[in-house]
Amino acid sequence: MFQQMNIQQNFPEYNIPGKQHHDFSPYESNGGSIVAIAGKGYAIIAADTRLSSGYSIHTRKQKKTFKLTDTTVLGSTGCWCDTLSLTSLLAYRMQSYVHTHQKTMSTNAIAQLISVMMYNKRFFPYYVSNVLAGLDEEGNGVVYSYDPIGHCEKTTYRAGGTAGALLQPVLDNQIGYKNQNLAEKPEITKEKAISIATDTFISASERDIYTGDSVVICIITKDGIEEKTVQLRKD
Amino acid sequence: MSILAYNGGCVVAMRGKDCVAIATDHRFGVQAQTIDTDFEKVHQVAPKMFLGLVGLQTDILTVRERLAFRKKLYEIRENREMTPKVFSSMLSNFLYERRFGPYFIEPVIAGLDPKTSEPFICNMDLIGCPNVPDDFVVAGTCGEQLYGMCETLWKPDLEPDQLFEVISQSMINAFDRDAISGWGASVYIIEKDKITVKKLKTRMD
Amino acid sequence: MQGYNDGMSRPFWSNGPSPGQFYNFTGGDRSASQGFGPQNNFGAQRSSQPITTGTSVVGIKFDGGVMIAADALVSYGSVARFQDVKRVFKVNDQAILGTGGDFADFQSIQRSINDKMIDDICHDDTISLKPKSLYNWLTRILNNRRNKFEPLWLDMVVGGIENGEPFLGHVDLRGRSYEDDIIATGFGKHLALPIIREQIVEGRPFTQEEATNLIKKSMEVLFYRDCRALSRYYVAVCTAAGANVSEVQKVNQNWEVATVVRGYS
Repeated sequence: MFQQMNIQQNFPEYNIPGKQHHDFSPYESNGGSIVAIAGKGYAIIAADTRLSSGYSIHTRKQKKTFKLTDTTVLGSTGCWCDTLSLTSLLAYRMQSYVHTHQKTMSTNAIAQLISVMMYNKRFFPYYVSNVLAGLDEEGNGVVYSYDPIGHCEKTTYRAGGTAGALLQPVLDNQIGYKNQNLAEKPEITKEKAISIATDTFISASERDIYTGDSVVICIITKDGIEEKTVQLRKD
Repeated sequence: MSILAYNGGCVVAMRGKDCVAIATDHRFGVQAQTIDTDFEKVHQVAPKMFLGLVGLQTDILTVRERLAFRKKLYEIRENREMTPKVFSSMLSNFLYERRFGPYFIEPVIAGLDPKTSEPFICNMDLIGCPNVPDDFVVAGTCGEQLYGMCETLWKPDLEPDQLFEVISQSMINAFDRDAISGWGASVYIIEKDKITVKKLKTRMD
Repeated sequence: MQGYNDGMSRPFWSNGPSPGQFYNFTGGDRSASQGFGPQNNFGAQRSSQPITTGTSVVGIKFDGGVMIAADALVSYGSVARFQDVKRVFKVNDQAILGTGGDFADFQSIQRSINDKMIDDICHDDTISLKPKSLYNWLTRILNNRRNKFEPLWLDMVVGGIENGEPFLGHVDLRGRSYEDDIIATGFGKHLALPIIREQIVEGRPFTQEEATNLIKKSMEVLFYRDCRALSRYYVAVCTAAGANVSEVQKVNQNWEVATVVRGYS
């Protein structure tokens, strides 16, 4: 039978057999993973540097961490063009905050702003996985993580991006001491956090093709933001 | 939703030094609803060999029965024990018979060779493509989480008690991040002269 | 889609509006609030596929500059329609541009770039568009259009010199952009990039001569293996001394092996 007319919307089907129909998809997954850990007096956030889509790698040195202030770093992966749009709009909003309030934004203010900006595009979302790490007003580490439409949660550790599912249980176990039945749970030092973050990325690059090349680790303390790079698998 | 994720569940197997371990969760559900919290997906098919099946529960039961039948037939005909290697080939062929209308299961085999006691682990996709690595195999709805855990915790030549710790931690932390796996776990450590079964208490949510 | 020639009874009325309804031609910008026609966006669907297209673009950074190359072909589907088209451009003395994808979309954007250039000249303050500004501007333009679901179907490579440093970036139809030392689009990503990457010497940029040879080799391979490529190409080079687009270059063709290949006679 000839394809029926859609009665409800009442327009005919103009598709002609043999004609190529190319539906444009505004989204694309460009891969990448983030791990953030917060502790007493520090926060670290790490993201790999591979930018890819499907089976092709665009570049092996795309940083996915964005320094927002001296105490706040945002990690953003997913649809790279949305990451770019979001971060440049965020930079603009933060600058205008500086002009109106005569001070730089605190980490929790940025966290709230990101949530609002993401929800503003509720029906055409930024297709990104965001993790925000920084220091709070007391100088202690905080991590905020988001879903694509702006839900925000404050935590002490988070894994996001294409290898998020692989890394999150590892952090639960190693940072959150989940299922370990310890009498006391020793605090995670900055050095320990860095080494766990590095190890998780080495593991992730074994099994996730969208994570690899190298990982950039931002170490945020009251003295500023230090950056380290560790090489990962490149295949 | 994938049929493979209709009932939920997971299985993982690991190689150690002269031993293998296989672990499973206990949940059987229908999508988000939990039906049973004592449904084991790992079965002893020979004195030193275990088979884990995850996926659609009805197919788990069918495949388990049909495999038992074929295995018995083999043993009667050949008058010798089935090695894990032969068993996995048989399973692979069995699954490929249904290439275009597959059983919606993902199998995991763990065991020691009955003669040489060589550790053996293997998993397959639903149409029987085998994978025999020398570290670990995972299957189920929290496969990604299991890969992350195993990749960080596993190392070569683990002793049986260390292997137990690694496989337990891997499985529990992985299924705690999966809504349709968990509700307790069983771990089987297979050594040359003994098999240890341990039931783990875990979060029940 | 089925049943065109199945010999069964054909529908009485097909491929047009229902009796009593209006025709809605594509491209109209009639909003639903006008209460005319169906209450949906039918009739506002813009073309979402490329029509006249250019294939790969290859760009390389070298010591003191960048070069971007693309062949001279603009195709119309599988027709090799326009065979002497420059797809690489000099924007000004510090910026060059290469373009793949829909050529009409490019021409419309080129008009905007020209307008910007004229504005710069009119200001007469010696300030002109820098490559990073151009790159960022293109990213925003392309991203804005994808947000409207009317993408400019382009794959562009921007190059130039900024603050004495070579710059090379890629922007695609979604406004996804990144910088790198070597960039290729389309088939070039699969065929040219590995050839160029093989020749990288760690800790040293390419010399201009090396880059020229690599472009030559890349265009040759692309000509042989990309059915939408041509044997003639243009190269735009930008150094501190300025930018220019080369005369037409020819690929070294060798078809001696063709007689050995069986199955095509």
